[in-house]
Amino acid sequence: MLARDAENLFWAGRYLERAEDTARLLDVTYHGLLETNAAEQRVAWRSALEAVGLRDAFEATGRALTAGNVSEFLVRDEENPGSIISAVEAARENVRTVRESLSTECWEAINSFCLSIRSRNLEVEIEQQPHELYGFIRRQCQTVAGVASETLARDDGWRFLRLGWHLERAEWTCRILRVRQVHLEAPGFHEWVGTLRSASALEAYRRNSRGSMDPADVIEFLLLSDSFPRSVFFAIRSAETSLRELGTGEEPSQPLRLVGRLRAELEFADPRELLSGDFEGELIRIERAIRGVCSAVGVRYFINIHDVDLHMLQLFPGAGVE
Amino acid sequence: MASDLFNEYETEGFFDEVFEAAGTPRPHYSALLKRLSYFSAEELARRERRRDADFRNQGITFTVYGEEEGIERTFPMDLMPRVITADEWSHIEAGLEQRVTVLNRFLDDLYVGERAAVRDGIIPWWVVTSSDGFSREAFGIPMPLGARCLVAGIDLVRDGAGVYRVLEDNLRSPSGISYVVENRVAMTRLLPQMFADTPVRPVDHYGRSLLGALNRVAPPSAGDDPTVVVLTPGVFNSAYFEHVFLAAHMGVELVEGRDLVVDDQVVYMRTTKGLKRVDVVYRRIDDAFLDPVVFRPDSSLGVPGLMSAARSGSVTIVNAVGNGVADDKAVYAYVPALTRYYLDEEPILPNVETYLLWDPDQQASVLNRLDQLVIKPVAEAGGYGITIGPAASDEELAKCREDIIANPRNWIAQELVSLSRHPTLIDDHAEGRHIDLRPFVLTSDVVEVIPGGLTRVAMKKGSLVVNSSQGGGSKDTWVLAPTREGVESEVSEVASDVWPGAAEVSA
Amino acid sequence: MRLDIRYRSTFIYDDVVTESQNELRACPIADERQDLVRYRVSVLPSTKVSSYTDYWGTRVDTFGHRNPHVGLEVLAEATVDTKPRLQPTGACRPDALLAPEFLDLHGEYLERTPHCDWGTAVADLAAEQVRNTGPDVVSRILALHRLVGTSVEYRKGFTEVGEPVDEVLALGYGVCQDFAHLAVSFCRSQGIPARYVSGYLFTRDETVLDEAELDDDEPVRVQTHAWFEAAVPGWGWFGLDPTNQQAVGQRHVKIGHGRDYDDVQPLRGVFSGAAGAMVTPDVEIRRLAMAEVGSPALPGRLLQQHQQQQ
Repeated sequence: MLARDAENLFWAGRYLERAEDTARLLDVTYHGLLETNAAEQRVAWRSALEAVGLRDAFEATGRALTAGNVSEFLVRDEENPGSIISAVEAARENVRTVRESLSTECWEAINSFCLSIRSRNLEVEIEQQPHELYGFIRRQCQTVAGVASETLARDDGWRFLRLGWHLERAEWTCRILRVRQVHLEAPGFHEWVGTLRSASALEAYRRNSRGSMDPADVIEFLLLSDSFPRSVFFAIRSAETSLRELGTGEEPSQPLRLVGRLRAELEFADPRELLSGDFEGELIRIERAIRGVCSAVGVRYFINIHDVDLHMLQLFPGAGVE
Repeated sequence: MASDLFNEYETEGFFDEVFEAAGTPRPHYSALLKRLSYFSAEELARRERRRDADFRNQGITFTVYGEEEGIERTFPMDLMPRVITADEWSHIEAGLEQRVTVLNRFLDDLYVGERAAVRDGIIPWWVVTSSDGFSREAFGIPMPLGARCLVAGIDLVRDGAGVYRVLEDNLRSPSGISYVVENRVAMTRLLPQMFADTPVRPVDHYGRSLLGALNRVAPPSAGDDPTVVVLTPGVFNSAYFEHVFLAAHMGVELVEGRDLVVDDQVVYMRTTKGLKRVDVVYRRIDDAFLDPVVFRPDSSLGVPGLMSAARSGSVTIVNAVGNGVADDKAVYAYVPALTRYYLDEEPILPNVETYLLWDPDQQASVLNRLDQLVIKPVAEAGGYGITIGPAASDEELAKCREDIIANPRNWIAQELVSLSRHPTLIDDHAEGRHIDLRPFVLTSDVVEVIPGGLTRVAMKKGSLVVNSSQGGGSKDTWVLAPTREGVESEVSEVASDVWPGAAEVSA
Repeated sequence: MRLDIRYRSTFIYDDVVTESQNELRACPIADERQDLVRYRVSVLPSTKVSSYTDYWGTRVDTFGHRNPHVGLEVLAEATVDTKPRLQPTGACRPDALLAPEFLDLHGEYLERTPHCDWGTAVADLAAEQVRNTGPDVVSRILALHRLVGTSVEYRKGFTEVGEPVDEVLALGYGVCQDFAHLAVSFCRSQGIPARYVSGYLFTRDETVLDEAELDDDEPVRVQTHAWFEAAVPGWGWFGLDPTNQQAVGQRHVKIGHGRDYDDVQPLRGVFSGAAGAMVTPDVEIRRLAMAEVGSPALPGRLLQQHQQQQ
C-alpha cells in the first residue's frame, strides 16, 4: 500500500489507543482520589501526568496542579497535542486521508465519534460528570476498534492500524506501571487496585490471582501475562505478528528484529528477579525499546517523503546565478 | 390526507419540469406527485434532517473557502427527484455523444494533428493561442484513442420553450459524479417508496465504467493489468470527497504528488514494498500545478518529470493536458461550426446564442443591450465573475462595459436563457427553483453517457446561480428506462395500502 | 561562420540533493540562417538524457536524478554554421500590421506576458518614438530598437531577475534579458509582433582576424545572450540585438524564441532535499572558420581541433 497511507493508519491506531488510555487513566485517577486529601491529590495528578509523558508540558503552561486543570489539559486543550481531543481529531484526519482504503463503516465510526465529541460541552462534563464522559470516550474508541476489526480486510492497512494500537498500548502499560509503582510512596492495596484499573485489568487479574495483591503478581500480570490483551508482553507479541505479516519473506526487517528480541526477553523474564533488581531502570529500558521499534517502523516503511519540498532552478543570462 | 405541498405552487411563466400548467402535472410525474403527497410536511422535514445527518457522518461535504479556515458544507439534496423520460434522454444522449466526439477530435487536431480546423478557417488560430487553457507544453504528446476528454461534464439547460441547450463544456476536471451516485443512495434510503414500480436507470456502475475507460487508454507497456491511480491535490481541496469516492469505487490508490516519483521517464508510486510502476494517472489537479519542471515551478502538488514521462509514452495522463482550450467559453461559440466540419452533421443539442466581443459589430450591439444579456468571463469556473444584465446595478454594468472594451477576448455575451424550474421543498411546501443538468460522458474506444447526471438547483428564490460554492443544491436525477414497446414510460400508480410506510400517513 | 560552443552549468548544492528533474535549452536551432553541424549533451552524475522539440521549435534536453548527489554538471557542445543574415528591404506600410491573416498568425507575439507586461510609461515612450518616425514598419522597428539603447544602460546587479519592464525603464539599467524584454514591449505596445530570442554571441569582432590568425584564437567566455525579433509583414522576422545595438549577424547563434524568457529558459528544473545551490554557468565559444559567403571545406587541422575538444 502507499507508504503515506500506511503511516497515516499507523498513527491513527496510536492516536485512538492514546485517547482511550488517557480517558481510562483520568477516570481512575479522579475516582481514586475522592477520599484523599489535597497533598495526596497533587501527588496523584503529578504521577498521572508522568504516566502520560506530559508532566513537563503541563508545567510549562503555568497552571496550578489541580484536578480541574489537569483534566482540562488532558481532555480538551487544543494546544496540547497529547490531549484527548487532539488525539481524536488527529486520528480522524489520518483516517480521512486514507478513507478510500478503509470501509465506509470505519470512516463513519471515527467521523461520528469526532463530531459527537465536538458537540459536547466538555468543560461542564469534566467538572460535573467525568465518569460518564470518560466512559463515553472509551466506548467510542472501542466501537471504532470493533468496527475496524469487523469490517476491514486483513491486508497491510489493517496490519499497520493494529501495529499502531499495540505499540502504543505496550508503551502505555509500561509507563503506567513504572509511574505508579515507583512514584507512590509505598503502594498498598488501593494503589495496586488503581494501577490495575488504569489498565482495565482489575477483573481479569482477580480471576487470575484470586484477590492476592502481591506486587510481584500484579507486575507479572501487567507486564508478562500471555492471556491478558493489555499486558505489555501480549501487546508486543501482537505487534510482532503484525510485523511478521508485513514482511516480504526474505530476511526479517529491522523493526521485526527489534520487536522479536523484546518479545523474547519478556517471554522468559522472571518477575521476582525484575522486582529485586533495578525495576524502574528495566521498565525505562523496555519503554525505550518500544520507541525504538516505532522509529524502525518509520524508517523501514514510511519512506520519508516530508523532505520533498522542491526548489526551483533557473538561470538568467547576464544576471548569472539564481 | 394528502399534504398540501403543491397547493400554492405557481409556474410563474417559466417552463416547469413537473407542471404543464398550475395543477396539471406532466404525465411522467403524476404518480410521483401522488406518492410524495402522502408524506406530511413534518415527515418530509424529518427525512431531510436524517439526510443532513447521514451526509455529514459520511463526510459527503465540500469545502468553502473565502472564510478563515475552510468550512465543510454538505451539498443539500432536495428530496424531490427530477425525472427525465426515456425519449427525452435518448435525444440528450445522442447530442452529448456527438458533442464530445467533436471536442475530442478538435483537441487531437490541435495538439497532434494538422490543425485542420484552423487551416480551413473554421476557428481562427489566434483565438486558440490566446486561450488560457491552450497548453504549449502538451504539444505533440499523443493521447491513446484520442480520448482527451475521457471524462466530460456538459452542462445543459432547458429554455423557456423546453428545448435542451448546452450551456458550457467542462473538459478538465468536471466534478459532481460523486453526488450523482450518493444522491441516489440517499434517496433509496430516505424515500424508498418513491421508487416502487419505477424503472429508474441505475448509476452505481460509474466506477466500473470509469476504470474500464482508464484501462483502455493505458500505454502498451502496461500489459493486461494497468496500474491506475487518482491524483489529488489533497484533503484541503474542495472536491476531496469526490477524489476519495473515485478511488474507492474503482478500487485504486488515491495519491498525492509526493507519493509519486519519476525515474528515467517512468512514473512510480512509493509503497511500503518499494516503488510500484504507475501506468495511468487520473489527475484532478489543474494543468498549471501538474509538473513544476514544465509548469508553475512553485507547485508542490505536482510530480516533477510527469510530462516528460507522458511524452515518452510510458504513462497516460487523464484528462489530457490542454483541454482548457476547448472549454474556453469563446471557443464554445465555435462548436456548432466544428460539428459541421468534423462530422458533417448538424448539432443535435444547440448552443445558447453567444456573441464574441472582439468583433466590432457584435461588441457594439452587445454594449447597447448590456442590461438584457449575461456576460461571462471565458475562463472562470464555479459561476464566478458572471454579470446577469437584468439583475445588475448601474455600477456593475458600467464596470462590465469597461472590462469588455479593455479586453474583449476575455468575455462573451449570451442571451439570457429563461432556465426551467422544478418544484423544490422549501420549508413546508414546494416552490419553483431554477435548475440545470450536468450529465457525465466517458470516452475511450466508445462514448458512454451516464444516465441522468447532476441536477443542480439554485436554492435562492429567483436566482440563476446553481453552483455548489455559491449556495446551490441538487436533486437525484431519474432517467426512466424505455418500456418494452418503446413507449414513453411513466412512474406507475400503486395502491396506497400495499405500500410500506402507509401507516405513517396522517389521516 | 563556423562556431564551436560549449555551454556548461555547474551546481554545487548546500547539502545532499535526493531528486532533481531538469530541462535544458542550449542547442542551437536549425533554420534558414543556421546549420547545426553537431550537438552533444552530457550530464554528471551520469544519467539518461531525452530530447524533444517544443512548441516553439526549440530542442529540449530533459534529465533527472534520483540518487543522492551534491553537485550537478551539465555540458552541451555544439558546432554550428551561421550564414549572413539579411536585412529587410523595401517599404512596408503600418496598415499591413492590421491585415487579418497577419494578426491571426502573429497574435501570440502581440499579447502581454509575465515578463513583458508593459504599462503606460513604456507605451507612451514607444508611441512618441513611432510618431517621430515615418510610416514604415522597418523604420519603426529600428527606431524602437534605438530607443532601447538610449533608454537603458548595460549594468549588472541593478535589476532583479524578471524585473518588470516599466521598472527597467525607470531605473535606466539592466542586463541583456531586460534589454530584450523592453524592446519586445516597445514593439508590441505599437502593434508590432515581437519575440524574445535566447542564444549565444561570439563577441570577438569579426573584422580583426583572418585565416592566418585562427589558431591563436582564444575562445571567448561569456554567458548566454538574449535579443529580439520583430515581424515585418511580407518579409519575416527581423533580428536585432538591443544590448549591443546592432543587427543580428553571423556572430549570433540562436537557440530559440518565445513570447518571453519563460518560453526559452536555458535551464530550468526542480530539486529537493537541499536549501540552496551555487550555480556557475559559463559558455565558451571558439571560432572555427571565417565569416563566409559560400561554404568552404574544412581544413584538416580544424577537424583535429574538433576532436581535441571532446
